Order: sequence, then C-alpha cells, then structure tokens
Amino acid sequence: MILGNLGNSLKETFNKLARLNKIDKKIAEEIIKDVQRALLQADVNVKLVMKLSENIKKRALKEEVLEGFDAKEHISKIIYEEFSNILGKVTEIELKRQNIMMVGLQGSGKTTSTAKLAKYFQRKGLKTCVICADTFRPGAYDQLSQLCKVHSIPFYGEKGNENAVDVVKNGLNEMKEYEVKIVDTAGRHALEDDLIQEMKEINAVLKPDHKFLVLDAAIGQEAEVQSRKFSEAIGITGVIITKLDGTAKGGGALSAVSETGSSIAFIGVGERIDDLEKFDPDSFISKLVGLGDLKSLMERVQESVKPDEMAVEEVLKGKFTLKEMYKQFEAINKMGPFNQLLQMIPFGGFGIDLKDKDYEKTKYKLDRYKIIMDSMTEYELENPACFDSSRIRRVAIGSGSDIAEVRDLLNYYKTLKKAFGMFKGGNIRGLPGKFMKMFGREIKI
Amino acid sequence: MFKSLREKLSSVKESISRTIHDKDKEKVTSLEDEIETISKKEDLSKEEKAQKLGFIKKAKTFLLEGESILNEKDLEEPLWNLELALMEGNVALLVVEAIVSSVKSNLIGRKKKLLAHTDEIVEDVLYESIKNVIKNDGLSFDEIIEKSDKPVVILFVGVNGTGKTTTIAKVAKRLKDKGYSVVLASGDTYRTGALEQLEIHGERLGLKVIKHQYGSDPSAVIYDAIEHAKARGIDVVLADTAGRMHTNSNLMRELQKIKRINSPDLTIFVDEAIAGNDALERAKLFDEAIGLDGTILTKLDTDAKGGTAISISYITGKPIFFFGTGQSYDDLIIFQEDWLLNKIFGNDSEEEN
Ligand SMILES: Nc1nc2c(ncn2[C@@H]2O[C@H](COP(=O)(O)OP(=O)(O)O)[C@@H](O)[C@H]2O)c(=O)[nH]1
Ligand SMILES: Nc1nc2c(ncn2[C@@H]2O[C@H](COP(=O)(O)OP(=O)(O)O)[C@@H](O)[C@H]2O)c(=O)[nH]1
Ligand SMILES: [Mg+2]
Ligand SMILES: [Mg+2]
Repeated sequence: MILGNLGNSLKETFNKLARLNKIDKKIAEEIIKDVQRALLQADVNVKLVMKLSENIKKRALKEEVLEGFDAKEHISKIIYEEFSNILGKVTEIELKRQNIMMVGLQGSGKTTSTAKLAKYFQRKGLKTCVICADTFRPGAYDQLSQLCKVHSIPFYGEKGNENAVDVVKNGLNEMKEYEVKIVDTAGRHALEDDLIQEMKEINAVLKPDHKFLVLDAAIGQEAEVQSRKFSEAIGITGVIITKLDGTAKGGGALSAVSETGSSIAFIGVGERIDDLEKFDPDSFISKLVGLGDLKSLMERVQESVKPDEMAVEEVLKGKFTLKEMYKQFEAINKMGPFNQLLQMIPFGGFGIDLKDKDYEKTKYKLDRYKIIMDSMTEYELENPACFDSSRIRRVAIGSGSDIAEVRDLLNYYKTLKKAFGMFKGGNIRGLPGKFMKMFGREIKI
Repeated sequence: MFKSLREKLSSVKESISRTIHDKDKEKVTSLEDEIETISKKEDLSKEEKAQKLGFIKKAKTFLLEGESILNEKDLEEPLWNLELALMEGNVALLVVEAIVSSVKSNLIGRKKKLLAHTDEIVEDVLYESIKNVIKNDGLSFDEIIEKSDKPVVILFVGVNGTGKTTTIAKVAKRLKDKGYSVVLASGDTYRTGALEQLEIHGERLGLKVIKHQYGSDPSAVIYDAIEHAKARGIDVVLADTAGRMHTNSNLMRELQKIKRINSPDLTIFVDEAIAGNDALERAKLFDEAIGLDGTILTKLDTDAKGGTAISISYITGKPIFFFGTGQSYDDLIIFQEDWLLNKIFGNDSEEEN
C-alpha cells in the first residue's frame, strides 16, 4: 500500500493554474475537489469542509482575478480569507492577575501545557503558581510536581486527596500571594457525566479568567462534539493545540474554535517546557491547507493597490469630491473583499457597518453606490454640492435606484468628507496607523 | 460507539438501493405507458395488438425479474454519500477512497435480479470491502501468548498520550486473570511521573515493576525485566516506552535499539480512536521504522466513531488486538472482526454508550 505524498495534492492541481488568469466552472470544480481532499485529510470537520469549499468555489467564480495575479494566487487568496474568517483571531492573554483552568480529553497535553504556560507567565515577570487538580490519573501528582520542581515553578497539590474541588479550594487559599494561578485538571470526555460535573464544580470555585481547552492536533471528526460539550459545560475562552511537531495538521482546531466561539491562544510543538508558541494564524493556515507562504501573498495583494489608485494625493491636498470616493471604491473592489482591509480604510465606522459580519451586504452597498455614481455627470461628481432634488431624481431614475438611495449616498459622502476634513485640519497625528499604511507612505509633520 | 457510522452506512445503503430501484422502475413505467398506448390504438387489428403487447409484456416481465446493469453515473451520488459517511466515521481519507473504489468496481456493471434484494447486494459489497481491510488471518492475542516460549516479551509503542501505560496495566490484569505471571518494565524513563504511574498500577495489580532512574537507557530496563522474568519463570514481560513522534528520528532509533537488544515477541502499536487522518501516517511510519505486529486502539468510550480501527488495519495490514474503552482495568475488549462488523452493519440496537 503506497500512499501518495500527503500534503501535495493541492499543490499539484494548483500548479496547473499558474499563469492562468481566468477561472471557469470546470477548473473551479476540479480545484474544489482538491481543496476538499486537502481539508478532509487535515481533519477539518466534514460538514465544515463542504460549507467552506462551496463558498470558495462561488467566490472564485464570481470575483475578478486581481491584476498581476494568476488564478492560483486568486484561489489561494480566497482560501486564505475563508480560513481567516474562522481562525484569524488570537486569544488575547493579558499580563495581569488571573486564574486559569486547563481542561480537555485524556492525554491531550494538559499537564505539559500547564507547565509551559506557567513558564510563559514567569518569563513575563508575573508571580505564577500551578495547582494540581488531577486527582484521578495514577502518577498525575508526580508528573506535575516533578515538572514544576525541575523548572522552579511554585506548585500546590495534595497527594492522596481524591476530591479535586477541595484541592482547588485549599490551593487557592495557600497560594493567595501568586498573581497567576494555573489549575491542571484530569482528562475527561463528553460522555463522562461525573467528571463533567466535577469540572463544573472546579469552575465554580476557581472562577477562572481563562478556560483553555487543550486539544491534540491529531484529533479527527470527534473534535466537534467534544469541543461543544466542554463549551456547554463551562464555557471555553481559548484553545491550545498540542503536538503540532508531528505530522498532524490540526484541522480539529476549526471545530474547536467554531464550537466554543473562542480562538486559539497557543500551540504546543514539543514535549519540552519551551515548546509553546503564541498562535500565528497565517502559518497555521498555510500548513493546514498545504499551501506555501500565504502570508507574503497577502502582503503582495495589499501592496498591489497603488496609492494613486486610492486618490491619495488629491485627498491629502484636501480635495475630496465624489470622484475621489469613486476611485477608492474601485480600489477596494480590486483588492477583493477582505474584512480586515475594509477596517483599515477610512470608510471604517463612517456609515458602513463593519461589525456587520455579512460582508456581502457591505460590498453590495458599495456596488450600488458605484452604479448610482455612474449616472452622474462629470460636473456633478466634481461638485457634489450642486445636488438639488431635481438632479437627485434624475440620477435615481438613470441608475434604476430611488431617491432615498441617492440621498443615502450623498450623506455617506458628506460623512466621509467631514472625516477627511478633520484629518486635514492638523489632526494627522490622530490618523490610525493602518490608515497611514493604506496610503502607502509615512507622513511626517 | 459505532452507532453513528452504522446509521450513516445504512442510509447510504438505502440510497444505493433506491437508485437501482428507481432506475428500473422508470423503465417499467415507460413500458406500461406503451402498453396503454398500444391498447388504445384503433388502427391496429386485434392480432397485431396482441402481438405487440405480448412482446412488450415479455420485456416488462424480463425487467421485473431479470437483470440490469449499473453504470458509473448511477452510483456517483450514493458513493459520494458513502465517502462522506466513512469520513464522518473518522476513517482516514485515503482509506475511504480505497474502500469506495472497491465498492464501486464491485457494483458497476454488475447484473442483478431486479427489485429484489438490492440492498442486500449493496450491503454485501460494502461488508466485504470493510471486512477485507480489518480481517485477521493470524493468531489471536491469547493464542500468541499461549503458544510462544516463555517469557513472552511484549513491547508497547506509540505517539504521546495515546494510552500505552494504561493499556499495559489493563493487559496485565487480563493476563493475570487468566493465570499468567506478569512483570512490568518501566521503559518510559523520559516523561516526568511516568515511573510513578506504572509503579502505582503495579501496586494496585500486585505486580512487580522493574525500573531504573529517569534518564536511563530504556533498552537496559527492559533487558533487566526479561532477565528477571527468566530467573523467576515469569510468563509475560510487558514493556512500556515513552511516547514519541513518528517524525523524531532520534527517538525512533531508540526504539530500534530497544527492539534489537530485547527482540520482543510482539510489538504493539497503541493509538487512540479519537485520532483522525494522522493515525494512518503514524501507523505507517512506526511500522516502517520498527515493524508492528498489531494494534490496540484506546479511548473508544469517547464516542469515537471507530473509523480509526479501519484506517490502521488498512495501512499496517496487522490485526487489532484490543479496544480500550475506559480508564478502569477491565475496560479492554478483545477485538473480533465479526464483532466490529456487527457493530457497523448489524442491527442490534443495544448500544454501549
Ligand atoms: N510531541 C509533543 N508531545 C506533547 C506535546 N504536549 C504534550 N505532549 C506529550 O503528550 C503526552 C501527554 O501529555 P500530558 O500533559 O500528560 O497530557 P494530559 O493527560 O492532558 O495531562 C506526554 O507524553 C507529553 O509529553 C507537544 O506539543 N508535542
Ligand atoms: N477514556 C479513556 N481514557 C483512556 C483510555 N486509555 C487511556 N486513557 C487515559 O489517557 C491518558 C493517557 O494515558 P497513558 O496511559 O498515560 O498514555 P501514554 O502516554 O501513551 O502512556 C490517561 O489519562 C489515561 O487514563 C481509554 O481507553 N479511555
Ligand atoms: Mg494530566
Ligand atoms: Mg506512558
């Protein structure tokens, strides 16, 4: 039985796509089969794979291939974005006083991760201790206490006491002085009612700021149910994916994140205490879908929108008519729909509801505005102030929209202009950094 | 524990049968339409009608009782559903593809009695395909123990945290219950608490544990345990090892050394039923590096779908000896292919979980 080279299935089809700049249905279907294979092989949940791949296909066919990019990059970008929507966030770890509870299936790496995490906080200068609430697994006490001893991590545990809840209570009392308290618990799974109950009780006593679900990167389709059950029982604030130093791709992480409504905090990449890394969505996604360096592709995508296309010069000179706004809309369209990108652009918060997850709606609105502006005369575009009700009516009829929509557009323009005016009024220091970056230059004052 | 895989497979079975059924029904209906049209025709003499009708009726009878041939297109959708069902049952993709293609080549072009027994045919094909993957023509675990020269040395290997140490304790208990004498070798000298963990199991089961210190050479510990067994006429040596990633070549070499020095009678791969596609990859690499004689699959009590059993059998071609179904000593079920097949295909509604 000879297995093909596992990760490569996607790359092969992808190479067929290189230098193509159009995608037709047939190619899209072929690609999507390969994407599905790659994702299924990475242990992404079957239903999720179907949903994601359907989205990717639709978008690949609908969205234009950006200038200077080939079909392969086009699809990679879309894949990246779809995954970013789920995995793009990283759990914030504040460096403050806090209680942390580690939970997960048997053998997933909780104890090892407990010690790793304690070391992490110690390195950040926080007084950190560990409490052993695994009173079940033979040798659990020894495992954690020895780990802590070797690495000089203050440890609390009670050998022989089988009541984990009591141990936690006592530990909290004894270890009051520590700023960060990390509680390691016994492994358990969704069907072990008594152990789930115990976990709930520990949760009630500890009142953790963070509840980390520790998940083995090799977990298969089981990830969905187990994550859901842990989340239902105590609520999960972050996920730690362990054992990513092997060949497992960690596709279960997608289920964990979507079932718990949280994000990934850390990944474990070995047995040693320092083998803990902050989660980096870009490299994780690249590895998961078996595509090369997606990060630099995305950087290129963002750079590909040249400053002049954004009407930067004019805007900085204080000129902002409907024409400049139109240019910016086109630039956005060209970049393709990234949620993050939208947030960087000065429209952010000025009329388009960026919290609205439904990107399509936003894009729809921009497209509508463009259609309306296409019915305006040069003069009108250059002089938005000229709009009276008869001009508005004409544009509404000409663009097949209605008066309310045209007014909406003009209001939107005014809000934006005001925003730009504000920046221009010497308040450039207040410009958000991302905005500056968007305009492709450092502005020194 | 196999309930959901079973349910999914049975719905796939139905959908394939339905496809076959629908296909024939369509033809029958069209023949019936024709019979009706001819009967109503007024420009035909009675004899002519009878002759035509007789012919068509024969065709209909032939269809109803005769044979039909399935083509690739008929099966496309049902097979895709089969693929999904197996994947949701946690069978690794490459194994799913192998099973599906065997089902496909078995069904395509096959002639069958119509409108009867089609679901049985589908089930037979699927059953055979899966059976082929998990069948064990060799000896059972108990037979091996019985027939081998004593002491029988069994080495347990696998990636981190799959349940090697716990499984050793369970197997030890089982052997002890059968009247064998057992000694445990603490070959995980790496992970903190590993020595104590096995020690505690030894205490609870009343078994001797041979151990050295943390950081010592596992080959030597196991060697000592074998010497100990020989000297005291102990029947079985169960040797623990530290978990390791199949990609870590230093640690894989360490296993090769353990094997070279101690020549175990059995090398058992311990993996967990919750593992997905990676189970295939690591079973393959462990097998290539040190040679495996069989597998024990743990954590089946987690509601895992059991597909991992199929994946590992497929890639190693070696038997699965036991399933681990919990954290107690008695949570060990002997693996029998009929038992698993019955779990997947049988309709016994009794469900452990
Ligand atoms: N290779 C590797 N092994 C790990 C990692 N995290 C944990 N382990 C190992 O996995 C096994 C189980 O870990 P443990 O912390 O005891 O899991 P617990 O039962 O959830 O507490 C041990 O052998 C650990 O050394 C990791 O990131 N990489
Ligand atoms: N639920 C369940 N847990 C198991 C099973 N087998 C082992 N475990 C648990 O899995 C964890 C790791 O087991 P251990 O034997 O230490 O794994 P090792 O690192 O491979 O030696 C422990 O918490 C065990 O209690 C099983 O069949 N079912
Ligand atoms: Mg633990
Ligand atoms: Mg062990």
